[in-house]
Amino acid sequence: MSPPAPILSLRHVSHEYGTGANRDLVLSDISLDVTANDVVALLGPSGCGKSTLMRMLTGLITPSKGEVFHHGTPLHGIAAGVAMVFQNFALFPWLTVRGNVLLAVEHLPPAERDAKVDRILATVGLGAYESTYPRELSGGMKQRVGIARALVASPEVLCMDEPFSALDVLTAETLRNELARLLTDKTNPLRTMILVTHNIDEAVELATRIVVLAANPGRVDQIVANPLPYPRDSKSPAFAAAVENLHRILTHTTLPDAPAGAADTGKVIIPVDETHHRIAPVTIPAVNAGEVLGLLARLPAEAIDIFDIAERLGRDFGSVVNLVKAAELLELVRTPGQDVLITDFGRQVLAASTLDQKKLLREKILKLKIFELLIRLINVQEDKTLTDDTLLAELRALLPHEKPRVIFRTLVNWGRFAEIIQHDQRSHQMRLFTRKGPRVLVGPGASGA
Amino acid sequence: MVPNEPRPELRRTSLWSDLLVIGLFAATLLGALNVEAEWRAPLTAAAPIDLSPSVLPLYALYSLARSWLAYGLSLVFTILIASWAFYDLRARRLILPALDVLQSIPVLGFLPGLVLALVAIFPHNNVGLELACIVMIFTGQVWNMAFSYYDSLQGVPAEHRNLARLYDFSGWQRFWRVELPFGTQSLVYNSMVSMAGGWFFLSITEAFQLGDQDFRLPGIGSYMSVAIAQGNVPAQIYGVIAMGVVIVTVDRLIWWPLVRWSKKFNLDDFAGSSSGDSGPGKVALWLARSASLQRISLAWNTLTNALLRRRHAPHAVDDSASATRGPSRFWRWVANIAFALLLALGGYAVVRLGLLIAKLDVVDWLEIATSTSYTTLRVFAALAFSVLWAVPVGVWLGLNPAYARRLQPFIQFAASFPAPMIYPWVLTLVAAVGGTLGWGAIPLIVLGTQWYVLFNVVSAASAIPNDVRSCAAIMGLSGVRRWTRYLLPAIAPGLVTGCITAAGGAWNATIVAEYVRSGNSLVQTTGLGAYISRATNAGDYPQLAAGVIVMAVLVVLINRLVWKKLQALANERCRFG
Repeated sequence: MSPPAPILSLRHVSHEYGTGANRDLVLSDISLDVTANDVVALLGPSGCGKSTLMRMLTGLITPSKGEVFHHGTPLHGIAAGVAMVFQNFALFPWLTVRGNVLLAVEHLPPAERDAKVDRILATVGLGAYESTYPRELSGGMKQRVGIARALVASPEVLCMDEPFSALDVLTAETLRNELARLLTDKTNPLRTMILVTHNIDEAVELATRIVVLAANPGRVDQIVANPLPYPRDSKSPAFAAAVENLHRILTHTTLPDAPAGAADTGKVIIPVDETHHRIAPVTIPAVNAGEVLGLLARLPAEAIDIFDIAERLGRDFGSVVNLVKAAELLELVRTPGQDVLITDFGRQVLAASTLDQKKLLREKILKLKIFELLIRLINVQEDKTLTDDTLLAELRALLPHEKPRVIFRTLVNWGRFAEIIQHDQRSHQMRLFTRKGPRVLVGPGASGA
Repeated sequence: MVPNEPRPELRRTSLWSDLLVIGLFAATLLGALNVEAEWRAPLTAAAPIDLSPSVLPLYALYSLARSWLAYGLSLVFTILIASWAFYDLRARRLILPALDVLQSIPVLGFLPGLVLALVAIFPHNNVGLELACIVMIFTGQVWNMAFSYYDSLQGVPAEHRNLARLYDFSGWQRFWRVELPFGTQSLVYNSMVSMAGGWFFLSITEAFQLGDQDFRLPGIGSYMSVAIAQGNVPAQIYGVIAMGVVIVTVDRLIWWPLVRWSKKFNLDDFAGSSSGDSGPGKVALWLARSASLQRISLAWNTLTNALLRRRHAPHAVDDSASATRGPSRFWRWVANIAFALLLALGGYAVVRLGLLIAKLDVVDWLEIATSTSYTTLRVFAALAFSVLWAVPVGVWLGLNPAYARRLQPFIQFAASFPAPMIYPWVLTLVAAVGGTLGWGAIPLIVLGTQWYVLFNVVSAASAIPNDVRSCAAIMGLSGVRRWTRYLLPAIAPGLVTGCITAAGGAWNATIVAEYVRSGNSLVQTTGLGAYISRATNAGDYPQLAAGVIVMAVLVVLINRLVWKKLQALANERCRFG
């Protein structure tokens, strides 16, 4: 049996947002096929371009480079037979539930159209709500309308953009199970789906293939086949093994086991001229410094799996990985494999007073190459004042593959937290922090006046 | 689009409702016939105005017809120009500044060109003069609507735009189903403001003098201007009452139901619970019991459904084929030609105006400079006075919504009443305390513009988050500190927006406030507004052009250099959330 021709495929696709100096490369050289009966999950940390990738497959976005094929022919405009479910539902508040669903099939003759709408509303459990307006519905019900609207036209491919992430955990679980049941339903012709998610369990429960993406710039890290038969039991050992496997891959993708002491970080030396050298620092993860301390407080004494932390905190693993990376950079934790272990220094920080915490972290942060660079940059300015634009230009030159604005925000956040710099948001410049006089408590409105 | 089950209270139809609906239709038809007869009558440049109160209903009808036709024109223009600016990046760079300049041109700036051109086109009947009047009212209505609709277009969520593309909506469908509904709420609100703006200059747009020729169209505005010119106080009172009745009726019959209806397009409470007073009001429910109206609305639904329905499966036609490229190339050409026309028109206007004002000498410019400085002082004095009373009152109302709700109809009435109609009365008061028009023009300007400040302050104050209010109360902020630390910063964005609108209105109001007919005498004072009015009456087009240009340039400059910066500052520092 020859393999079926892919419904949608990407060939060496890259994409950039913005123009000129503000250009950000979001996706780099991606090739991917979606064949009939494929349920493809696009899994990866935030900012890896999952949603952009899916919008390219539907034709909503035309890639800057590379080609998109639909049934073997180059795609121009929107791919026919594609339906989409949106993260924030994208319902029309002035149309009833029925009116919203009707939009997708209004070209059909009235009898056929009404029959289809009735059937799909019953399927997703909205039969009693057809003349209700969306604002009267809960989030879960709204997304059911979104799903009904997508399914009613019997699409060839269903695209779902983080369909459950705007819902609470229990509602999301219910909807996910119903979607899984739909996939096993023999009478339902839809077998092809593309699902953007950052939830590993969701991917394992629904997908036949899981595309793990890496960030900065977004690229395919690995494609994992997931041949478990439907219906999938999330408590079965096979399911757990698949989840475990993905954990390993994601840890490897996002948290490589390279020797990563803070002092060694990124010793790339760029000679500027004979006397000056520039050090290209490795970037710092985009998290708030305060959150790192919060993570530390929630860590148990013994080692804990990074995915268990994500579950405990109720956050997606991508953001937890960033937090752990930041903590590791500051030597607060170690990460053997996919475990996280608090260090002695971490314990010391945890036990310290707020003021001492800042002092301890300040020492570590000052050792980071990127802060060495920042301080040097401030000091070479004539008035010891660095403008935002100068720093942004510098970051763009040093770290061409990163998003300079994101790093900039993180630098300012950490620098302010550790009382290394003070940043004036109005004049868009920063200088080294100097404490003046005793602290005074100010009244409300002082910041606004 | 969906044949909804009728609400339970509508299942029973009522004959009385039917009669009312039929009555309304008949009245509209009769009114239309009357207006049509007046339009087709042989051209009478200065229609004789009868001051007996019995003609007022007919005059009110004429004025209403003009206002609504102008409003219809404004709506069409708004949608076309805003959509063009939104979809054509090149045109946007020209359209937005042009709208900005146009909205600062006082109505008299458009008057001579419109009147002379349109009367020349229709020399034998009243159509030309009527059209000129309508377009003048239009220039008082359209600009804020255009800006608000452009903002709504910018605000349509990306997900909904994507959805429209996935379902292969045509431009027409996208407009009716996505863009217009998203813009409805702010469009309705701005329409109310615009309608008041159109009424404001009614006594000028219906009765004016151009050189040695008098122009008068029958209507409430010209009734008032004749009553004022003759010093006929009873007639003035009748006129004011008629105007008040018209405003209240339009408010109750059209705007209130529209505002209620437009709440269905509210996107803010999309996530929350349904708000209490959306949906049809009492009058609408009662009307809806009419069987004939129900039949009409059903027919309307079927019709719009048939017109709007997509007829083919989404993307069934091959997108790469000529199907989409053909029209898109066609539209590109239309856009190119329209853009060229726009440029040519702008260029022509600049050249003509340049030639006109080249005729002025130094003495003229000196006079303009003196007048301008007086008027600038008056505008800012009027603004300062408005802020001085509207801020405390607005904050109080905003923090006490119960009073605000009770007072709102009165404030709304006062705001939409055309202030120039009572200028002579105010001037009598000013004269009684020994003031001259030089000072008296300030309260006249205030009469028209204070409401913009008040409205914006009320809405800003009522939007102060509850937590912040509680915090201020707990900390015991009081006196000066309460204002400087808490209230003034909290309302700053709204206050600045109110001031921008009020200042724009104030500049335009000077043309009526500095040049007032009262009784048999004409009172005027040194000022740019009086200069423009005088030039119009004398038919001195170079002076008129120069006066209008100076005013427009000044308004735009002050907007750019002062107000926009203040607004940016207020929005950056004083916004909650």
